[in-house]
Amino acid sequence: MIAKIFSSCVIGVEAHEVTVETDTGGGLPGINIVGLPDAAVKESRDRIKSAIKNSDFSFPARKITINLAPADIKKEGSSFDLPIALSILASEGAIDSSSLGDFVFCGELSLDGKLKSIRGSLPIAMALKSFGRKKFILPRANSKEAAVVDNIEVYPLDTLKDVVDFLNGRIKIAPQKYSVEITRHHTKYKVDFNDVKGQEHVKRGLEVAAAGGHNVLLIGPPGSGKSMLAKRLPTILSEMTLQESLETSKIQSVAGLLPSNKGLIVTRPFRSPHHTISDAALVGGGSNPIPGEISLAHNGVLFLDELPEFKRNVLEVMRQPLEEGVITISRVANRLTYPSKFMLVAAMNPCPCGYFTDPKRGCHCSPFQIQTYLSKISGPLLDRIDIHLEVPRLKLENLTDKRRGESSGEIRNRVDKARDIQKARYKDGNLYFNAHLESKELERYCILDKESEELLKLAILELGISARAYDKILKVSRTIADLDGKEVIESHHISEAISYRSLDRNLWG
Amino acid sequence: MQGRENKKIGRIGEEIAAGFLKQRGYKIIGVNIRTPFGEIDIVAKKNDVTIFVEVKTRTSSSLGPPHLSITWLKQKHLIKNALCYMKRHGRVYSDWRIDVVSVKLNSQNESESIELIENAVEEN
Repeated sequence: MIAKIFSSCVIGVEAHEVTVETDTGGGLPGINIVGLPDAAVKESRDRIKSAIKNSDFSFPARKITINLAPADIKKEGSSFDLPIALSILASEGAIDSSSLGDFVFCGELSLDGKLKSIRGSLPIAMALKSFGRKKFILPRANSKEAAVVDNIEVYPLDTLKDVVDFLNGRIKIAPQKYSVEITRHHTKYKVDFNDVKGQEHVKRGLEVAAAGGHNVLLIGPPGSGKSMLAKRLPTILSEMTLQESLETSKIQSVAGLLPSNKGLIVTRPFRSPHHTISDAALVGGGSNPIPGEISLAHNGVLFLDELPEFKRNVLEVMRQPLEEGVITISRVANRLTYPSKFMLVAAMNPCPCGYFTDPKRGCHCSPFQIQTYLSKISGPLLDRIDIHLEVPRLKLENLTDKRRGESSGEIRNRVDKARDIQKARYKDGNLYFNAHLESKELERYCILDKESEELLKLAILELGISARAYDKILKVSRTIADLDGKEVIESHHISEAISYRSLDRNLWG
Repeated sequence: MQGRENKKIGRIGEEIAAGFLKQRGYKIIGVNIRTPFGEIDIVAKKNDVTIFVEVKTRTSSSLGPPHLSITWLKQKHLIKNALCYMKRHGRVYSDWRIDVVSVKLNSQNESESIELIENAVEEN
């Protein structure tokens, strides 16, 4: 008898329906799995055999042929264990197969028949409706993330035996409920901006960056607090919307990084890969592509410490995602697109020894060395960074100061306001942040008063600012004006924006 | 001399195994059937499944339990034998399987222990 069970596999971040068909009989006993299974799927036959035996069912001593349809999609991972085991049991008549058409099954089996967690249950849950099914049976560890999706029924189960008993109506369980309101608590962070002493203008710069979604480069001597400041950036970013939370959780689910029983990711991710990272690990890749750091940082912050130490080809691959918010990975076997809308925060020393901008310690690098060091970061990449912040060495009076600065909460209130203004302004376009403005839109949205226009002209003449930097200054000043609650950009907004272009002003090198 | 002795032990083992299988509800339909690839010890039938039985007999456990001597190559031969038989009888697409009976004899060539391993050889 032929049994049919529905399951799903995830390619990129999109789920595809897979039908598991099982036919038994005719020949020497054994299991044969066809339909482009990878090694993990092929190995599943040994797990399934033990799991079925150890769940007090008899494993048929017959020739079993299993087909994973459509046969032209590559099936990978261990989540087919449960549907294959069930289809074998169904073909033997151990399961009431009349209701199977409503269900989608996913789950890895252990030898004793327990269900173990899988990757990608959230994208599958989100695609369930498009498959025309509404019930999802999966391991308990993955149930919360799937239960977030509306209008489907998620049944968390613990063992193969429980699944069979449930399908045969011997046990009854209620579908898992996990509404998003419960998960949308006010985000708590372990760190806060009031831990950082001094560095007020850097904090202000980060506030502007957070408000407008601008990329930031922090430049300063060792020990000046670049990493400390960057780590606190997520605490002042506005709360994630439900849509953002779903997008980010989807990627984390595919990468298998979603903590079990936590539901969705509600805090903005902060990823800080080490500078030895390979290009494939940064943007995603592999022969069976998996999302890289830039996708894991989607809707959050990607922090690259010691930027010039990164390999050049690693940095250059970030150009397309920085521009478009997606990364397309092309391999021989397939072509995938992962979302990667992140805020880039990079930190670097001003020169190889690190002390060029330090007033106390002398720098002993030659101009040539500094030039080589700075040239490791290409123009096109630097072009995509709107705000350059110099982080000076802390003064003694700052260090011993007992007063605490502004808390992250206070800063975030201002950031939220500025974001609300942007949301209202760009509601008809597909823009979210000032940082994404194109030059045509700049003219429309960045209206300067007379005084600021004069100032900008002067800056172009006196400081030798390029056309490219001109756009950046307009964008950043737009954000500063939004933080100020002004519709027209004033001269002090412009001058603050100019102060964030230190690399253009060729202060060193 | 040694070879003849081994053959004798083998025959004794096969007889013991056939009796044992009958008790278990197997219907014996042939013994010592020759094919181009070798010999099938016992062909039996139970629940409409054709069962090819390989009997292994040992008099001492110095070389390990009897069924341990069924190597990968031996398994391939068993499958070929069985397929040959099925083809001869025109039943290639019906169910069949290979069982192993391992018989241990004591010094008087009487059965000391007997064990049936159902579905001992699987594809792939």
